[in-house]
Amino acid sequence: MLVNSVIIVLREVLEATLMISVLLAVSRPLQLASRWLAAGLALGLVGAAAYGYFLGPVSNLFDGVGQELVNALLQFGTYAALLLIVFLIARQGSQPYRNSRVLPTAMSTAIALAAAREGSEILVFVTGFLHMDNFMPSVGLGSFAGAAIGCSIGVLFYYFLLAMPVRRTLRIALALLALAAAGMSAQATRLLIQADWISVAGPLWDSSGFIAEDSLPGQLLYALVGYEATPSATEALVYTASIALMALSIFLGFRAAGQVPTRVQ
Amino acid sequence: MTSIRTYLIVALLSTVALGNFVAAVYGYRSSMIEAEALLDSQLNDAVSLIATMRTVSTPLVDAPSSLMAFQIWSADGKLIQRSANTSDAPITVFEDGYRDENFEGFRWRVLSRFDQQQQRWLLVGERIDIRTQLADKVILHAVMPIVASLPLVALVVWLVVGNGLSLVRKLAQELGGKRADDLSRLTTSNPPVELAPVVDAINDLLRRLQESVLRERRFSADAAHELRTPLSAIKVHIHNLRNEYPDETDALRTLDRDINRLSHLIEQIMLLYRTTPESYQANMQEVDLHALAQSVIGDLYADIDARQQSISLTGSAQTVTGDRDSLIILLSNLILNASKYSAEGASITVHVDRAELGICLSVADTGPGIPLAEISRVFDRFYRVGGDRHSSAADGCGLGLSIVKHIGDLHHANIVIENNADGPGLTVSVIFPADFQSPLIFTRHSAC
Repeated sequence: MLVNSVIIVLREVLEATLMISVLLAVSRPLQLASRWLAAGLALGLVGAAAYGYFLGPVSNLFDGVGQELVNALLQFGTYAALLLIVFLIARQGSQPYRNSRVLPTAMSTAIALAAAREGSEILVFVTGFLHMDNFMPSVGLGSFAGAAIGCSIGVLFYYFLLAMPVRRTLRIALALLALAAAGMSAQATRLLIQADWISVAGPLWDSSGFIAEDSLPGQLLYALVGYEATPSATEALVYTASIALMALSIFLGFRAAGQVPTRVQ
Repeated sequence: MTSIRTYLIVALLSTVALGNFVAAVYGYRSSMIEAEALLDSQLNDAVSLIATMRTVSTPLVDAPSSLMAFQIWSADGKLIQRSANTSDAPITVFEDGYRDENFEGFRWRVLSRFDQQQQRWLLVGERIDIRTQLADKVILHAVMPIVASLPLVALVVWLVVGNGLSLVRKLAQELGGKRADDLSRLTTSNPPVELAPVVDAINDLLRRLQESVLRERRFSADAAHELRTPLSAIKVHIHNLRNEYPDETDALRTLDRDINRLSHLIEQIMLLYRTTPESYQANMQEVDLHALAQSVIGDLYADIDARQQSISLTGSAQTVTGDRDSLIILLSNLILNASKYSAEGASITVHVDRAELGICLSVADTGPGIPLAEISRVFDRFYRVGGDRHSSAADGCGLGLSIVKHIGDLHHANIVIENNADGPGLTVSVIFPADFQSPLIFTRHSAC
């Protein structure tokens, strides 16, 4: 039970902490006050509690696939926020970001949506064991260990990003945000497949023998780039299209900043 | 602003937490594998034990129910005996080995073995949840100390980092505690290897700064002397010219006035430089502000009276810690300003008293006051209200209040300039802290 708890909580926490680390590292050169993080986390936690509380009625919606649909919606919402964030970051470069609340608001939104979804899943998992005295010690310890491992990796990753020159930090951050966002979009697609809203054939490949999804490297890759050991063709297609859209957004941002030379007629 | 202490503590704790928890999880996982093997071997023993049991002649007898389950089947597939918690169906396939199976609402670890001697199948199961709970309990006790030690590790990291950075803190305190005019070497003895270059660089910088200040002082003194001497000579020549030409021409009068202005300007520039808090060698002592004001008024009375203005001193004796010479300059500048920019016949009031925040000295006049928009600029050097076309047509160079500000800063005092609420005129208030060692922190501009 302990290992299961670690994996479940780590999977949720890691995704959020890595996104927070990247956004925090980016907000340093842009000189953004970290109020966006506090606001995003607060909203996310309230959202998680509310979503967790109403999970029963939500799950019964749409012929019993309400939870999958709401989760997919939250994932697509995070993707949309990240699409705007990478455009604004690419456009801003390493210049201080002032006179507008759009970027901090988009960052808060991305964090709030991710925290609400992941927090609710942790909440539902842990509260499910609250009255099972036999399991509580290992579930509690496992959840705590999962959260601690996720937060520690997030903190170290944040310092790793900060240790690099600003331009490189920004470029790596943009690439990571694009990959993570594409991963979320693919996860949302998988949820729609689970809800039978999209029908698919079997998995495109199975790499679980190489990197198992429930191993620590598998969890890290899942959080970083949305790793799936057995993706369907639809998921792979959505993943590729999402990355392409992210790349376009980054390109447009660079072009708006004048960093990409336009062809002179 | 980044903090080295926060960075070190957070990064170290994250590393320790990550290492500890990953080790704990892997430790748990490998211990679980060991425990599973142990429990499997116990299951095997249980099968061996059951193999020695003599079966009763009746084909089907319920054995007592427990957390274990068993079935004994004949080689031709007839149930010989079973525990009460199993049904008539075989709990696993008739094939040697361990398997996980579901029956009776639980998940079971089942061992199936063929008894060659008695030609029968022995199927023995153990509830997986009970096995897991048992292993969990044992292993958690082993893993818990690793996790429980984290707060202790955090505390030790906190203390060690804090102690390691204490020398940086001491250095910062020494630098922060230096007076503005203290350019002596840092006294940090035996700095650690990492800080020694910083201390050396600061000491080198202080030495060069001190040399530069000394050079500037020498230059200022020389320049003052060099400028004063020819000015005095010009004044003598003007005096001689007046004697030679008793009917003064406009040119001579203008020359005389301009020389006086130049002389005043040089004196003010010298004063401004001398009163700069960074370079002023203050001689702090207890000074009775009321008595000092009385003395300054006495010195200036002739000039004020010449303009048919009246001056009064109110309040009570109040002692401040201050530099007497600079306070005389402050009082003179404020009173002369009040006189200069007020019309003939105006009245000036000097008031010394204890105020809510400290000791208050105020000089009020009945002149035209200063437009609100310009009040914030009057401390700027060479700034004159209304520019050179000042309505008073009084001579001035725009340095008087800058000097007052310098002297105010030297005494950690706050200066407030306000137009009089009950009529025309201006009041300049200087609020000295009651305790010189505890400078006032003003959250708002407050007059006396």
